[in-house]
Amino acid sequence: MEIIDLGTVPSSSENYLTFIDQMCDTLELDFASYATVNPVTGVVHGYANYPDSWKMHYMNRNLHRVDPTLHKASLSIAPVDWQRFERDQKFQSVFKAAGDFGITPQGLTVPIRGPYGDRGLLNVTRSCSVEEWDKLKRHIMGNLQTAAVHLHDSVMRTNGLVSALGYSALSTREKEVLQWTAAGKLQQEIGDILSISHRTVEIHLRSAREKLGALTTVQAVGRAIGMGLIHPR
Amino acid sequence: MIYVVDSLNAHEFSDLLIEMHQLRARVFSDRLGWEVEVKNGMERDAFDDLNPAHVISVDETGRVVGCMRLLPTTGPHMLSDVFSCLLDDEPPIRSARVWEATRFCVDTNLPGRGVARNSISYVTSEVMIGAFEYGIAAGISDAVAVIDPVMNRVMMRSGNAPYGYLGSPHPMGKVTALAALMDCSEERIARIRDFAGIRHDVFKEFVPEAVQ
Repeated sequence: MEIIDLGTVPSSSENYLTFIDQMCDTLELDFASYATVNPVTGVVHGYANYPDSWKMHYMNRNLHRVDPTLHKASLSIAPVDWQRFERDQKFQSVFKAAGDFGITPQGLTVPIRGPYGDRGLLNVTRSCSVEEWDKLKRHIMGNLQTAAVHLHDSVMRTNGLVSALGYSALSTREKEVLQWTAAGKLQQEIGDILSISHRTVEIHLRSAREKLGALTTVQAVGRAIGMGLIHPR
Repeated sequence: MIYVVDSLNAHEFSDLLIEMHQLRARVFSDRLGWEVEVKNGMERDAFDDLNPAHVISVDETGRVVGCMRLLPTTGPHMLSDVFSCLLDDEPPIRSARVWEATRFCVDTNLPGRGVARNSISYVTSEVMIGAFEYGIAAGISDAVAVIDPVMNRVMMRSGNAPYGYLGSPHPMGKVTALAALMDCSEERIARIRDFAGIRHDVFKEFVPEAVQ
């Protein structure tokens, strides 16, 4: 995915918004917003590229208190299409005016769960036919999941409880796979060396990338070297 | 037929959930001898309180005959906690695109052989198809499943062999348990469907072709 790697830039609201803008461009979405509640302080951290007029409307009316895309979606392990809320009175009350602000009620929420019980929500919208929407969803869902967790982890590391705890620990296998990648070996070769399937290598690499807050393997290798987890030869 | 029951729709399926917890008690406590907590004939643990999704197979008489519990590996899950021994006490994998499957079981009072409807391998296949199709729609690429060797053999025979394992098998109750990796892909679903002869939409009630 050709979007900024939040692990490589200083964390700031501006960078989170840039990330959201680039994600919308790459994944052909109209708007996106991210929100998380600090479980201890109750402070909400949110970032959105919705038009300011909609943000004002939403905040002035305290719609976040009733919005089911925030309250209900976090109960799911899977992204929740807002079609599921069509007959929900609260959804209707939040989104009935959205059209006036150029916001479509066609969207979905990606719920995110962090290792310490922290949770986040990434909402995205796209105005198009239902057929196009279903096709787009199939196409982008995997990247959307990766982007959602990348953004959440980055926000938690700077604003949340997790900041003191840093990155999730890498397993010995993940470090081995990164070490061999740093040595220039391909996934198939690493699989042969470690006597595991190339898909198992891929899973360890993906896990290592996400734990290190990196979107690319090159970035993950760089960070692992920087943190002294692996050693270039 | 497969139902996916999570904290969003649990209120519509409370009877199914009770039966599912009863099935889990019969399998994991009575048959496999795992140290699980059973109350009022139902097996429940702390992970059932973390808003998991349950994939539940129901036969044509409405009985629960199979189930599986899914949790994201990005948040608290069994391999990051109580099953860490299976990973030789290494940190678990963590990915937005990998789900963990636990408490995967099928009613063993079902016929053991063949792939006829309601056989063990039919229900096993149906639960797997349901879980993988639900996963693909959610952008999930792989699953790590905690299974026992019997389940592993059933899967190897039914076009659903794991492509790898994490950590090493570890004794648990009367059997060993292992953490198996499976790709959540159309190819794997097609292989399972071919083996079990399941062509219909598993999320819809099965109508025999003769009456269609």
